[in-house]
Amino acid sequence: MQNSTFLYFLTRLLFKQKSKHIGAVLISILIIFLLSAVLFISTSLQSTLMQTLKNQADFTVTRLKAGYPTQTPLEWIDKISELNGVSAVAPRVYGQYFFTPREKSFLIIGVDFFEEQNAQILKEIIGNLELKPFLSEDSMLVGEGVKIFLNAHYFKKYFTFKTPQGKFKKVHIHKMLAQESNLIANDMILMPLKLAQEILGMEEEEITDIAFNVPNDAEWDNIISKLHLMFYDVRVVEKREVQKAYENLYNYKGGLFLVLYLITIVTFMLILYQRYTMVYSTERKEIGILRAIGWSINDVLKLKFYENIVIVVVSFVLGVVLAYGYVFILDAPLLSQIFLGAANLENSVVFIPSIPFGLLGSIFLFYAVPFLAAVLIPAWKIAVTSPKEAML
Amino acid sequence: MSIIVIENVSKVYHEGTSHAFEALKSINLKIEKSQTVILSGVSGSGKSTLLSLIAALDKPSTGKIIVAGEAISKLPDLHASKYRAKTIGVIFQHFNLLESLSVEENVMAPLIHSRLSMTDIKEKVQHSMKLASIEHKATQEVKALSGGEKQRCAIARALVHDPEIMLCDEPTANLDKTNTLKFIEILRTLHSMGKTIIVATHDPLFESLDFVTHVIHMEDGKCDE
Repeated sequence: MQNSTFLYFLTRLLFKQKSKHIGAVLISILIIFLLSAVLFISTSLQSTLMQTLKNQADFTVTRLKAGYPTQTPLEWIDKISELNGVSAVAPRVYGQYFFTPREKSFLIIGVDFFEEQNAQILKEIIGNLELKPFLSEDSMLVGEGVKIFLNAHYFKKYFTFKTPQGKFKKVHIHKMLAQESNLIANDMILMPLKLAQEILGMEEEEITDIAFNVPNDAEWDNIISKLHLMFYDVRVVEKREVQKAYENLYNYKGGLFLVLYLITIVTFMLILYQRYTMVYSTERKEIGILRAIGWSINDVLKLKFYENIVIVVVSFVLGVVLAYGYVFILDAPLLSQIFLGAANLENSVVFIPSIPFGLLGSIFLFYAVPFLAAVLIPAWKIAVTSPKEAML
Repeated sequence: MSIIVIENVSKVYHEGTSHAFEALKSINLKIEKSQTVILSGVSGSGKSTLLSLIAALDKPSTGKIIVAGEAISKLPDLHASKYRAKTIGVIFQHFNLLESLSVEENVMAPLIHSRLSMTDIKEKVQHSMKLASIEHKATQEVKALSGGEKQRCAIARALVHDPEIMLCDEPTANLDKTNTLKFIEILRTLHSMGKTIIVATHDPLFESLDFVTHVIHMEDGKCDE
């Protein structure tokens, strides 16, 4: 019974004094929105990348010449295949193709479409592809960025590559890669291995690197040692190193935002604290009046607690919902560029919803506790003084 | 039997500092139930200080105040709040209303923690607003009211929990003649209801009212009946 009258009074007070709270609510929404948006972006990017990396080979090896990666001999495939515990050994061909007039480049990847490991990755980024029509002529699959760029230069159905030997190679644009894969495939061109070798000016027995799996994790270090014994000029890259590099990249950017957030929140709390401790504030008078008409210190603090918890919860929910819409519906205009950096081809990344509930919970606590403290401590200080003094 | 007993009460502001000020000096006073008492005197004579001590809004430096058999001068906060919520109704010179709320929400405020049902609270609020002749402005925001209407809203709020004692601190200082007379009529009604009323005022009009039982003159922190 008492609760219903208290709630009635609380809602009336909040509604009637909305102009008093609007500033705090707007700033809170903005802070929560920015932080949640950053979290949504970094979590979505990480989860998309991790999902993609999940299907990548455990290891890739490249030959080094004068400390730089060079063409890897095809004969290494047989030697690596002979190692115990190694499976799905596959050659890879890739390289940059420069579109000189505009100083843009495409990443050409040559793929053996019949190889089992490649088939898994391809299924993720292009869905089911009918190979017969695709392989019946020189065809390629292009990322959205490539497609838009070629369209703008009137290459709507095909593109003519110029090989390093000066020959022209006309390749049909078969299909666009799924927009969801833009993060990794925006500037990518997938084509059969032999066609890629021809366009990149590589011999048939030359490949860029070799990918393979080692299903038993405990054997990974052993395999690396064996590879270094077999080839003195080899560079071995592990999948977990790549994962760590990506994690660090986005954690670093997210961390910068976290520092900015903490600075903002401390400033905001100081402003709030200042506002509530102002000697002649209406807040002070209001507390004095309530005390004078019979409210105890606890009654006053209860009112202030609920009043501000409503503000915190409303701001938090609105901030998170707005951030969700901004990132996952509007694809985070402006903010996404900070995370993705300057792109070779304009990239319209699609963020796949991924909500870090644990982190959101932490944000709520990190926001709510200082907010309530910034309001309740001054309110308590006023409430314990004599009502007569507070009403002055 | 006296409803208010004041024994040797002194009040010193900024005690122990170089600018200490003795607002009340050894006051002794007894007020009987249902009396209407006028505390008269110039500004700074100690009237408002004495009222705030009786209302337990402040504590005396020395001495004892007993109201309805309960020593209120040293009450801990929780008990002082309960005392204010139950026994005392205060009307302040500057009304001290919650400006953004409506009249009925202001009048309701003292009852929020009373454990009464919403229906009972609304009934009491209606009754109180009627007594103070402000029920026609029930839903109006206080900041839009005239001085006289604010005064009546403050009266309704002071009456809503049906206190035994009404304390009025310079109630007509901000009112014109018409509203002062209206206020006096409300006081008369309260007197006829058996309320104990103490009015601190420097308006001589109150001293000649037929229902006033005592006029206590205050000067320089002292009083003489």
